[in-house]
Amino acid sequence: MFDLILSQAVNGLVLGFLYVLIAVGLSVIFGMLGIVNFAHGAFFAIGAYLALMLNRDFGWGAALLAPLLTGLIGMLVEFVLIRRLYGKEPLLGLILTFALALFFEAILRLVFGAAPLPFNPPRFLAGFVEYGPVLITKYRIVVLAVTVFALVAFWSFLEYTPFGRIIRAGSRDAEMVGLLGINLPIVLSSVFGIGCLLAGLAGMLSGPLWTVNPSMAAGAIMPAFVIVTIGGLGSYAGAIIAGVLVGVVTAMTIQFYPDWSSAAMYVLMAVILLVRPRGLFGEKWERFE
Amino acid sequence: MSSNSLRHLTRINRRTLIGGAGGLALAHAAASKLGMPYIGNAAAADPIRIGMIYAKTGAVADQAEYMAQGSLLALETRNNTLLGRQAEVIWLDEPTSQAAQQNAERLVGEHNVVGIVGGSLSSSALAISAVAKKAKIPFVAANAGAIDLTGRLCNKYTFRLQPPADVHTRVLAPYCAGLGKKWYLLTAAFAFGQDIKRSFTEFSAANGITLVGVDEVPVNTADYSSFILKIRAAKPDVVVGGVPGNDISTFLKQWNELGMKGKIPFAEIAVGATDLWGVGPEAADGLFTMSWYHKNPNNPPEEQAMAATYEKKYKRPAADKTWMGWMAMNALLDSVETAKATEPRAIVNALEKWGVQRGGVKAGYRAFDHQMVNRLLVVGIKPSITDKWDYFDILAETPSNDAEIEKVFGAQAESACKMDAL
Repeated sequence: MFDLILSQAVNGLVLGFLYVLIAVGLSVIFGMLGIVNFAHGAFFAIGAYLALMLNRDFGWGAALLAPLLTGLIGMLVEFVLIRRLYGKEPLLGLILTFALALFFEAILRLVFGAAPLPFNPPRFLAGFVEYGPVLITKYRIVVLAVTVFALVAFWSFLEYTPFGRIIRAGSRDAEMVGLLGINLPIVLSSVFGIGCLLAGLAGMLSGPLWTVNPSMAAGAIMPAFVIVTIGGLGSYAGAIIAGVLVGVVTAMTIQFYPDWSSAAMYVLMAVILLVRPRGLFGEKWERFE
Repeated sequence: MSSNSLRHLTRINRRTLIGGAGGLALAHAAASKLGMPYIGNAAAADPIRIGMIYAKTGAVADQAEYMAQGSLLALETRNNTLLGRQAEVIWLDEPTSQAAQQNAERLVGEHNVVGIVGGSLSSSALAISAVAKKAKIPFVAANAGAIDLTGRLCNKYTFRLQPPADVHTRVLAPYCAGLGKKWYLLTAAFAFGQDIKRSFTEFSAANGITLVGVDEVPVNTADYSSFILKIRAAKPDVVVGGVPGNDISTFLKQWNELGMKGKIPFAEIAVGATDLWGVGPEAADGLFTMSWYHKNPNNPPEEQAMAATYEKKYKRPAADKTWMGWMAMNALLDSVETAKATEPRAIVNALEKWGVQRGGVKAGYRAFDHQMVNRLLVVGIKPSITDKWDYFDILAETPSNDAEIEKVFGAQAESACKMDAL
């Protein structure tokens, strides 16, 4: 039994890191822009569809462009619609991004049909590795590695680059950043684009594992919201720890109480919020108080 | 950025407000239009309206799309006329069983439909059936497989096309037993999945089968890898699935990814061809029951004609769900014509007598429970898939004649249905 639990824990880790990738983008967009992006799952789906199309027509090398294209689409959406909501009633953001989520799902359905499309891991990543009791597929190892790399790279970008410092400063006091002569609209577009890029990357990595269909956003957005809530709104480290927690708790619930597996993360969220209402790493942010 | 620019960020002026509202309205209108491309317009005065409830989003949206297209095709081939009058379809969604019930009430109360076709999921169909009974409106359930629909909760106004889980089980379980005596059940945690679990558990108890694992899976599960690890550790001879729509596509993709394809046989009842088309040739695997297959040479000529018309119109082959939508709608429309009226009781009487010859079996609804008796296909995945629309080898057609119907569908004495009066 211990062997199986260990195997489940490793498996839950992969699932958790995929959730983290989706949640971090959501968290960054909220932290910097103050927008609760209900359309984030749609960008996840767009990433998966773009990867599927590029892979089908040009091979896996081209599919790697899918996250970048998703980020560009995100920037366009920010430029055309989202930026009109800054500083306005938060409810407007909820309504607009919810409408966008429906709109993108309908577009995907119109263009690709409602039926799921076949998309499997590349042949060179077929097979699995057994290390003692732990079984993990080669593709999931790559997913884990790419996700960890993306998270470290993004964290380094935020921590050590001038642009990252502007983003972090802007997330605390956008007005002050603007007063310092920094072109805030470009920064905000970039932040939204980066958030969407991360969602697109998660979509590209998940496409060969999950079912690629227009409704796939729903499977991504709810865990992402739960992770952001557990980790603390806007907290990078919180999102990572919460994501791993959700993944492992879900895997363990499947092992012992399978019919409760989809409810496990909500129970975890409820327990954590009862103990710490701001989430694990939630802080007091002046702009949201 | 200047402070003026920042102020601009937070100020709502008339142009911005109108622009924002316009954008929202446009987004909403576009989403609505794109999501509901088949809703008919009330073009003529007082047309005959048929209600249709199929999922537009969620795990069974793809199956529902095929069913809806099949249903619409049935009306289109009649030039959208019934009893010499213009006829139109009103298509509403079924995101949840509660919403399905509310939409059924809307179809009856607001649109005055003469009958309803639909119910992609058993939970929705059971909810719609309750409305049909209360409002005394004929309802033909196309896809629902829950036993109760034509069993314990049957009613005079509800008819069901899909054979229930126990019928599918009687057809598929002997094939599973031939593969081994240790089974693992993986079924969805909703009405249809629970019926599959119960039916296969009963069969296993009666036939010396050991269940080495039984898991209920939430609908819309995105990652099955943890379930697959459990199955792998349990070492069953066969895995019997009962997960719906896109969930089976996800499961089979991950089943293949974790190296299980070909190692432990997988079997499931009542799958849709679209579920497997979405898996792809690399990962497709299993033994299934289906109601219809477009490549079956034994399909009657009118069904072949329907498939040809469908393929010409939609540029893809008709799936089994297309046939189900078409068949369910045809039964209702034929019955309206036979009744020569839109009066519900007359339509119900006509539905009870409705039937079509399909090979050696006369397909039609049994009067005592309104379950359609029909032939089922046992199919397996082809060893080598070269056509992206042709995944299955037909292994058997059961029942093959009227004499076998009772053996497969059960006798009246076995039915839990206590049919009410009109």
